Amino acid sequence: MSYSFLHSSDLHLGRAYGGFPEDIRGRLREARHTVITRLAAAARGAGAADVLLAGDTFDAETPSPETLRHALRAMAAEADIRWVLMPGNHDSLAASELWRRIKADSPSNLLVLTEASPVALAPGVWLLPAPCTQRRPGRDLTDAMSAATPEGAIRIGLGHGAIMDFTSDEGSAGIIPPDRAQLSGLDYLGLGDWHGRMQIGPATWYSGTPEADGFKHDTAPGALAVRIAASGAPAQAGMVPTGQFQWLRPALDLLPGEDTAARLSDILPPDARRRDTLLRVEAAGRLTLAERAGFEAQLAAIAPDFGWFDSDLSRLTTEVKADDLDLIDRGGALRRAADALLSETADQALAQADRDLAELALSRLYALVQEVGV
Amino acid sequence: MKIRAIELTNLRRFAGQRARIEGIGDGISVLSQPNEFGKSTFFDGLHALFFQPHRSAKAPVKALQPHAGGAPEAAVEIDLPEGRFRLEKRWLSRATARVLDASGRLIAQEDEAEAWIDRLIGQDLAGPSGLLWVRQGVLGMEPEGASAAEKSERERALHARRDLLSSVAGEIEMMTGGRRMDQVLARVNDALAKLATTTLRPRAGGEWARAVDEAATLAEQRAGLEVKAARLGTDLRQRTAITRDLAQCADPTARAREVEALTAAEQTLTSAERHAEQMAKAEGELRLARLSAGQGAEAISRLQQLQARLARAGIERDKAQQALTESEAVAQAAAGQEAEAVTRHETAREELQTLANRLDRAQRAQLALAARDRAASLAVEYERAERQRAAAEAHRADRSLLKVTRALLDLAEKAQAARDRLALQDEARLVSVRLNYQGEARVMIDGRPLPADGLRLRGATGLDLPGIGRMTIDPGLSAESDLAAQLVRADEALARALAACAAPSIAHARKALAETERLDAAIRQADDMLKELAPDGMAALQTCLAEARAAANGVEADPGEDAVQLQEALRVARDTEATALTLRREAETRHATLRETRAAREAALQSAEQALAAVQAEAGDAVDLAARLQNLTAAQPALAQAEAEATETLARLTADAPDLATAQAAVSRLRSVVEGRRRDLARLQSDLAGVNGSIGALADEGIEEALDELRGREATAAARAARYEREVKSLARLRSALDEARRAAREAYFSPVLREIDPLLSILHPGAALRIDDTSLLPTILTRAGQDEALDILSGGTREQLAILTRLAFARLFARSGRRVPMILDDALVHSDDDRIEAMFTALHRVAQDQQIIVLTCRQRAFAPLGGERLVARVEGA
Ligand SMILES: [Mn+2]
Repeated sequence: MSYSFLHSSDLHLGRAYGGFPEDIRGRLREARHTVITRLAAAARGAGAADVLLAGDTFDAETPSPETLRHALRAMAAEADIRWVLMPGNHDSLAASELWRRIKADSPSNLLVLTEASPVALAPGVWLLPAPCTQRRPGRDLTDAMSAATPEGAIRIGLGHGAIMDFTSDEGSAGIIPPDRAQLSGLDYLGLGDWHGRMQIGPATWYSGTPEADGFKHDTAPGALAVRIAASGAPAQAGMVPTGQFQWLRPALDLLPGEDTAARLSDILPPDARRRDTLLRVEAAGRLTLAERAGFEAQLAAIAPDFGWFDSDLSRLTTEVKADDLDLIDRGGALRRAADALLSETADQALAQADRDLAELALSRLYALVQEVGV
Repeated sequence: MKIRAIELTNLRRFAGQRARIEGIGDGISVLSQPNEFGKSTFFDGLHALFFQPHRSAKAPVKALQPHAGGAPEAAVEIDLPEGRFRLEKRWLSRATARVLDASGRLIAQEDEAEAWIDRLIGQDLAGPSGLLWVRQGVLGMEPEGASAAEKSERERALHARRDLLSSVAGEIEMMTGGRRMDQVLARVNDALAKLATTTLRPRAGGEWARAVDEAATLAEQRAGLEVKAARLGTDLRQRTAITRDLAQCADPTARAREVEALTAAEQTLTSAERHAEQMAKAEGELRLARLSAGQGAEAISRLQQLQARLARAGIERDKAQQALTESEAVAQAAAGQEAEAVTRHETAREELQTLANRLDRAQRAQLALAARDRAASLAVEYERAERQRAAAEAHRADRSLLKVTRALLDLAEKAQAARDRLALQDEARLVSVRLNYQGEARVMIDGRPLPADGLRLRGATGLDLPGIGRMTIDPGLSAESDLAAQLVRADEALARALAACAAPSIAHARKALAETERLDAAIRQADDMLKELAPDGMAALQTCLAEARAAANGVEADPGEDAVQLQEALRVARDTEATALTLRREAETRHATLRETRAAREAALQSAEQALAAVQAEAGDAVDLAARLQNLTAAQPALAQAEAEATETLARLTADAPDLATAQAAVSRLRSVVEGRRRDLARLQSDLAGVNGSIGALADEGIEEALDELRGREATAAARAARYEREVKSLARLRSALDEARRAAREAYFSPVLREIDPLLSILHPGAALRIDDTSLLPTILTRAGQDEALDILSGGTREQLAILTRLAFARLFARSGRRVPMILDDALVHSDDDRIEAMFTALHRVAQDQQIIVLTCRQRAFAPLGGERLVARVEGA
């Protein structure tokens, strides 16, 4: 009587991505929606008919009617899959309108868990959910997982929130005991909240989000395909990738004389992946004026390859030598202005902001002189 | 190069003539000639020699031809480091050009001569001729006019300045960054202008402003959505609360329990109300029984009281009768005692009156006697007082006649002493004649013998000496002093003093003074006496006397009784009368009191009789009264029994009574509970409908997603605005660095020429400075007292002076670069007044120390103070 299912969480459907330009914003939202299809496929691939979603399926307490309707329709479309939905902190039971609407419009293959009481998923398989009652319940809801089930049943816990050892993705203190599975005699405890994938114990996992939503986690997004042979047998969890977009935040530590183009190409994904990649290059170290100008030009050249591109050069300092200034002019007023700006960049009597400004002005001067030519 | 001589032949004004200036010196040389002489012709000829090819027939050359026609010729003798040369040109017909050396040897001619001159120009003159040769009437820094020649001259001058400044200060392009600097600056300015205003605020329509506006707009939208989101949150919480309340409210078990409780309470209330009615009836019966019993007892009590009162009134009436009888007897006796006391008192009073009359008469007779004595003594006093008054009056009359006083007497005595002194002096001067007769014969004077004690002679006196004759003795001059006059004046003074004293002599006066003192004493004495006798005056004394006399006149006949004895008798009689009066009053009072007592007892009797009559009237027949009492007493036990039974019934009902108020309260409370729940249900359902509506509407808007999006977009816009701000700041910083560097470069570039101009400028405008434009390389701004002034708005004189000073400065720069070029001024300084012109002359001299300057002027007097060498133009037929 083995039982297989797919464990996922934190779909955050309807997430707005307001900080991104409009086109990528739309694509990111769309990718969150289509992950439903990818999850269904992953479940099928793993021979599972149940997809257990451990909270935060929806990003908002009252998502837009379209977000909700599209999600329910997409789930309904995967008719061979049963979707087991549990409230997380974003879509807690306090979001009464959301759950009212879900219940009102629920397809037949949707199982909504709004009570912290055991539910039979299959013969001899019991799910012990701990739905979030509030955004911050302030108590250990997983206590309910100690509820009794028939003798010899497979016990699967489904919870949402941070465990005691670390703070949640949202910064609130963890409250779930890390040994909850053992305490409540669970064969598997599937958790949501942490957007990266993480194993907490032999049978306790955070699945992470199936579609990445930021640069924070560097685990590849996916879902966990879990198989439990029998009550008391070790659960076997395997990752199935489901993510469409890649969020990369490579760091580059540069020094004068380096081939910045080569260093850059080392850290970039292959061309084919770039459209579905959000990339933020974080450069540190130092470069000469010319090298920096070159590096910035290289960055500007690759930027359009990506779904979204950004660079943070705030920790990259510009090293200016007399040779560099010669490239501006060997003498005369342009050189005099460059010299004045250079000395300002190193003037300890000035505020850092003014020194940075002088550095920026000097880089600009260099670039402009190159533009106008000799 | 230095010009030593200029020679023009058949050139313009000098038709058919040769004009020559020679002996031109190293420093300043002045050719001062009247206006029509043609000194500008020298300038033009010289200019043409250097710059018009001999084969040219262009307008400037044609302009050299005189009206009469013919070929104009010009020659110049110059000193070069290699020696002296003569340059000659002839234009238009048989045009030639020649260069000769000092010895007159031909060095070059025609085209070779032109090439020689070009070399000279290229080396030394091309620029300076435009720069340093000032044509008549040129006001500004550069030659004006639009002709090709004028333009090319301007160009030449600009190139000369550029060459000159570059040679002393480097390439201007190099120094100021030139075109690259301009392009960089233009791009910086373009970039800035796209984003920011001149004050570095976001420029409307620019990207920065757009980002700032977008952030603001998004913030506004976000705030609006946040309000809605907050409302949605509140609504959701409220709905949770309402739903919970509704569930509680609609609980059917609770409702059934409440209805059941209400029904039970209502039944309890009904039975309690019934019991209460029975109790009310029992209470009514008890009240009735009590009333009947009370009425019987009351009637008995009343009849018993009536009987007692009747008895008491009879006794009272008898007591009053007896008291009246006693009182009448006592009053009778008291009336007799009173009459007796009255008689005794009347007798005593008559006795007392008689004695009093006798005493009165005796006392009045005594008083009359005393008044007569007093009138007699007052009459004596009055007489004495009258005497004193008369005496004082007589003394005063005497005293008023005496004028002398102590002071007047002192004056008279002094006058007497003075007069006596003078008389003694006079006496001393008299001639004393004394004879001690030894015979009978006597010396006669005025027929009488000379007195034995001699004679004192005042004037010439004749003495008859019997038998001898007459001897005249004359005291002479000794009598002629003014003593006589003084004596007369002393006599007069004495007489006046005595007159004042009203006395014929001092002795009289002294006696009179003594008399006044005596009279004053007598007056005082009489006044004192009078005051003693009549202190209130004579009139008052007289009045007293009259009164005393009047009193004395009313004297009665003395009855001759002893007043003392009478008084004693009167005292005894008075005591007797008083005692009798006391007894009488006692008797009267006692009688009156007894009379009142009797009257009161009469009244008491009367009222006792009335009371008795009243009670008798009330009681009616006594037998009947007793019978009534008997009947009532017999009915009493039955009534008491009925009351006891009623009391017992009520007590039983009261003990069993349920609490009606509690039953009512319970019903009321339970009704309100049931009603309240019904109302709550209605209200909660209504509230829920409202909240549902609100939530439904808000949820349809997808507020949170929109809000999340707006927050992100707002942050992005704000970050973009911040980037633009930083961009603007860095561009502004770059621009200021570029501006500053270019300004510094210009300063360095122009500093050589400014160094030359400044000392010259300070001769005319101490403290002023010129600013040089980096296109024309000429001064364009004069700064005086911190004020910038464009040169072309200055007065003609100032412009002209600055133009010449600038040329002088450039001339010095040429000299500094090893090129000594003559400077030629043709009728310059026409606009300058005398003060300025002298300052300019000083400036010229300052430069002329190592500079050849040729000045052509028609203002002979004005230019006299310039000094320098005076040139003479000689003109002769050609
Ligand atoms: Mn989450």
